[in-house]
Amino acid sequence: MAHQRIEIDHAKCTTPYACKKCLQICPMAVFGVAPMKMEKFKETDENEPGAFKLRVAFGDKCIVCNECVEVCPVHALTVTYA
Amino acid sequence: MCEFCEKFGTEDIWYLDPKGHGRQLYRKQVAGGRYVPEAISYRQRREELMGLVGQAHMEKDQAKIQEYSQALDQLYKENEPCQVVPLKDCYKLLEYANPIASMSCICRKQTRALDERNADEYSCMGLGTGMFKWERWPERYRGGVQFLSEQQGKEWFDKWDKAGMVHMIMVYGTASEGRPFIGGLCNCDYPDCIPLRIRLDYGIQHVLLKGHYVAIPDYDLCTGCGTCVQRCQFGAIKMEVTTQKANIDVFKCFGCGLCETGCPVEAITLERREKYPALREEW
Repeated sequence: MAHQRIEIDHAKCTTPYACKKCLQICPMAVFGVAPMKMEKFKETDENEPGAFKLRVAFGDKCIVCNECVEVCPVHALTVTYA
Repeated sequence: MCEFCEKFGTEDIWYLDPKGHGRQLYRKQVAGGRYVPEAISYRQRREELMGLVGQAHMEKDQAKIQEYSQALDQLYKENEPCQVVPLKDCYKLLEYANPIASMSCICRKQTRALDERNADEYSCMGLGTGMFKWERWPERYRGGVQFLSEQQGKEWFDKWDKAGMVHMIMVYGTASEGRPFIGGLCNCDYPDCIPLRIRLDYGIQHVLLKGHYVAIPDYDLCTGCGTCVQRCQFGAIKMEVTTQKANIDVFKCFGCGLCETGCPVEAITLERREKYPALREEW
């Protein structure tokens, strides 16, 4: 059955927590972002590449409006419906 | 009967049992297990299952939806169940719990990358002795925490209630003496709040149980202003066109009380769920 597919190019999207553009523009709040490391006594640096990772949390809610694709400054997102 | 009340053997509402808030209570260590922040030892499994539930919904595969949803429901039931709490019970919880501290919301951080950096922005609350250890994990408590007095806590809740946030209590597993480890009291908003979203969009019951109350309107007092309709996050209230009064579907009501606190003419009261036989098992 045809469905939504959101591909994230993690080689391009390296600092999603600092950028947060797709996370905040999505009308259905489809994305999620999580720290990749939890260090004792240290707050994770949001500008450190790879310290946070963008993921698709609620992919089935995506309406394929492509707002995230357009707003992404590093062209890391591809959204299809097939 | 609320299954928490049953599980913890309390006479009245489980979270209002003072024995569940003793300073001596701390999370029970699993033998041989290592303490992990936020009780996230099962986090990987949770995210894996959530991914599978989402994928199954995307593919509209009913069998998979049922299978993975059940597994996720069970996981939440055992680890991190939440329950909706109205403002008046939040006040009572502030009397029982010690210490109390406001901090950044982990859901809005994950879903919208909202970084709450100071006391004006903090929208989540940590309860109990665990908060004394917050400095160990600054990534969880980004921007720090602010310890509050009972009075400050009430004013803080008033602010978020006025803004339209649903309050919920969070349990992180079992503490000593078989009591719930009550770790947080949060101010929540759909869709940023993950428990709200998983319950409402995916029907996973134990991520967030309905509260102990339901909202009952008084049609003689209701002026039909619509404030409650706008404040309800559960789609339980609509304006009845013919009468121009608020109609509340109590089967959908989670008992958060936002309609009650927002009503300018006090036309809505929160009644105990148990009062209505047909609602006793609606959680």
